Amino acid sequence: MATPLKPDGARGGRAVFFRSLRWRLQAWYAAILVVLVTVFGFTAFALERSRQLRQIDGELQARVSLLASGLRPGGPPSGPRPADRPQPPGDAASEPRWRDVPPDRTGPPPPRLRDEPGPPPPRGPGGRPAGRPEFVLRPELVAAFDPNAPSPFYYLVWLRGAEVLARSQNAPDLPRPPVEGRSPRQRGDEREMFLYLATGDCVLAGRAVGPDLAELDRLAWWLFALGAGVLGAGLVGGWWIAGRAIRPIEEISAAAARIATGDLSRRIDTADAESELGRLAQVLNATFSRLEASFAQQGRFTADAAHELRTPVSVILMQAQTALSRERDPADYREALESCRQAAQRMRRLIESLLDLARLDAGEERMRRERFDLARVVHEAVDLVRPLAAERGIILRVEAGAAEALGDAERIAQVAVNLLTNAIQHTPSGGEVRTQLSSDRDGVRLAVADGGEGIPLEHLPHLFERFHRGDAARTTAEGHAGLGLAISKAIVDAHGGVIMGGNAVEGGAVFTVRLPGATAS
Amino acid sequence: MRVLIVEDEPDLLRALARALREEGYAIDTAADGEDGLHKAVTWNYDAIVLDVMMPRLDGWTVLALLRETKKTPVLMLTARDRPSDRVRGLDTGADDYLVKPFDLDELLARLRALIRRAANESRTRLEIGEIVIDLPARLVRRAGELVPLTAREYALVEYLALHRGEVVSRTTLYEHLFDENDDTLSNLLDVHVSNIRRKLGHEFITTRRGHGYAIET
Repeated sequence: MATPLKPDGARGGRAVFFRSLRWRLQAWYAAILVVLVTVFGFTAFALERSRQLRQIDGELQARVSLLASGLRPGGPPSGPRPADRPQPPGDAASEPRWRDVPPDRTGPPPPRLRDEPGPPPPRGPGGRPAGRPEFVLRPELVAAFDPNAPSPFYYLVWLRGAEVLARSQNAPDLPRPPVEGRSPRQRGDEREMFLYLATGDCVLAGRAVGPDLAELDRLAWWLFALGAGVLGAGLVGGWWIAGRAIRPIEEISAAAARIATGDLSRRIDTADAESELGRLAQVLNATFSRLEASFAQQGRFTADAAHELRTPVSVILMQAQTALSRERDPADYREALESCRQAAQRMRRLIESLLDLARLDAGEERMRRERFDLARVVHEAVDLVRPLAAERGIILRVEAGAAEALGDAERIAQVAVNLLTNAIQHTPSGGEVRTQLSSDRDGVRLAVADGGEGIPLEHLPHLFERFHRGDAARTTAEGHAGLGLAISKAIVDAHGGVIMGGNAVEGGAVFTVRLPGATAS
Repeated sequence: MRVLIVEDEPDLLRALARALREEGYAIDTAADGEDGLHKAVTWNYDAIVLDVMMPRLDGWTVLALLRETKKTPVLMLTARDRPSDRVRGLDTGADDYLVKPFDLDELLARLRALIRRAANESRTRLEIGEIVIDLPARLVRRAGELVPLTAREYALVEYLALHRGEVVSRTTLYEHLFDENDDTLSNLLDVHVSNIRRKLGHEFITTRRGHGYAIET
């Protein structure tokens, strides 16, 4: 049987593990951590990347400006230079002007953006500028495009019409100036910035950014490793913290499990009483204490019940065995049977009382709630016990004023009979049992006082306990098992009333029952 | 054999007394601890059956007080069956312990064993010459032949046989064969002795004038 169950058990165990609080805490923790680390990593990477590119772009822009300023439209002509059209140096038309979009080389020249009027550049046949621009490699330019620098820049200068005017040695072989796209642009491993001048000429500065991109890649890996490390550390730490947070719960659970398996005397350690779990443990401990007390009471009750049954069973056994041991005359058999009958009656009474109590305990016994004449009930109860009192030579006195109560008349009658019987049993022959009934605003009050010696102080707290008897032994003649007062209390409690027992000033015990009156509802 | 039963349960007391009387025991009864202790101290019983839960004085107290003066074998009878209760009973000086409800035969057997042990006798069959006394069956055989004895006669033979070699005074015999309610004439003992001698042989019981009777070993 055990073998086929095993996989189930393992699966169950895994399922339980994934449902465990610690696991779920950990999962949430990990999810949040992953999101945070990822966001942080990407943000850091993006910031660093844009910072680097901005820096490169700044450098490129500076160089593009230099390049533009190195382009002299009116330089020494390579062809016939129109002398009639001198172009003053620094003419506004030659000023580099940033443009986002290169001009359409086939279309007309773009409109001048400057309102400063100036003569249009002289054009030769075929749309060529009249003077071929000249590119002057000034020292600043040489310095800016030092091929021996750690990350050397390169340049390209095109004339209008895609003719390369100048280029640095390390410049890539770009046959045409960039046609479209934004500047700066990324072309493979190169970062380039270009500028169309108003003349249609184009300067471009670029730099190989491969090492920078590799650097950024390294940064990405480093960030990734850092994130993984933080995540790992966070998970381990989280597991540890979750474990620490859950440990008291596990301790509570283990203690509760031990208690559940029967060791009711165990308690949860509540050293950490201030925390939420400490308070939970205290609540649980209180519950366990009540449970234990209740179980102990139940156990005592069962033991007492068994104890009470032992005697009549002994009698029946003994009588039957003796009677059967030899032939006897009918009178002997009759006597034995009579003894058995009495013992059986006693057992029956005991069992009825036990069942009564069990029903009252379980709340199955629903008390009626109706007005009834308590005075009549008390008189009937007194009449019922009169033969017993007469037999023992006890006088019953009743002072019953009119009293209406709310509840179950039959059950209250049972209480009255119990109290009266009890009182008669504790009153010596010739004594008196006094019953008083009165009613006031708070309800009705029934008091039964006996003429006995009163209740010893040490018994007062236990009067209404099941099987408790004033003299620690059976008051056997009546077959009274010590359940009468317990049943009475259960009934009165179910009515929302109060039953009390004590000693009267003038001697003797007095039991008082208070019940809600008929008006109080 | 005379046995005191201390039991507060009247039905049980009556039934027990009756059953034991039928077994040939002389039975005294006490319905509470005080009365029981008084009787137990006053008389030399062969055994006492003592209930634990009793009014006035409980069984433990009676036993403890009794043990101050007497070694009478005591069988505790109780409804408490926890081992701790038994241990307490035995440690207080009880010789045996029986839990209610009990089997009558078991009670009788335990009682016989208690009485035998008190007389330092471990055998249940006593052989004296050609006389054999079967204690559990309460039968006496002479040379293999069953000898019919009355309950009183058997009790007398049993008592003397368990104390054989001792001279048992008439007073002691009275004390152990008749219960408190017996107001038997004093010469009844002689009648029983002469009947036994007629059935089991004249030499079986010897008379020590002025001392009492004896069964020689």
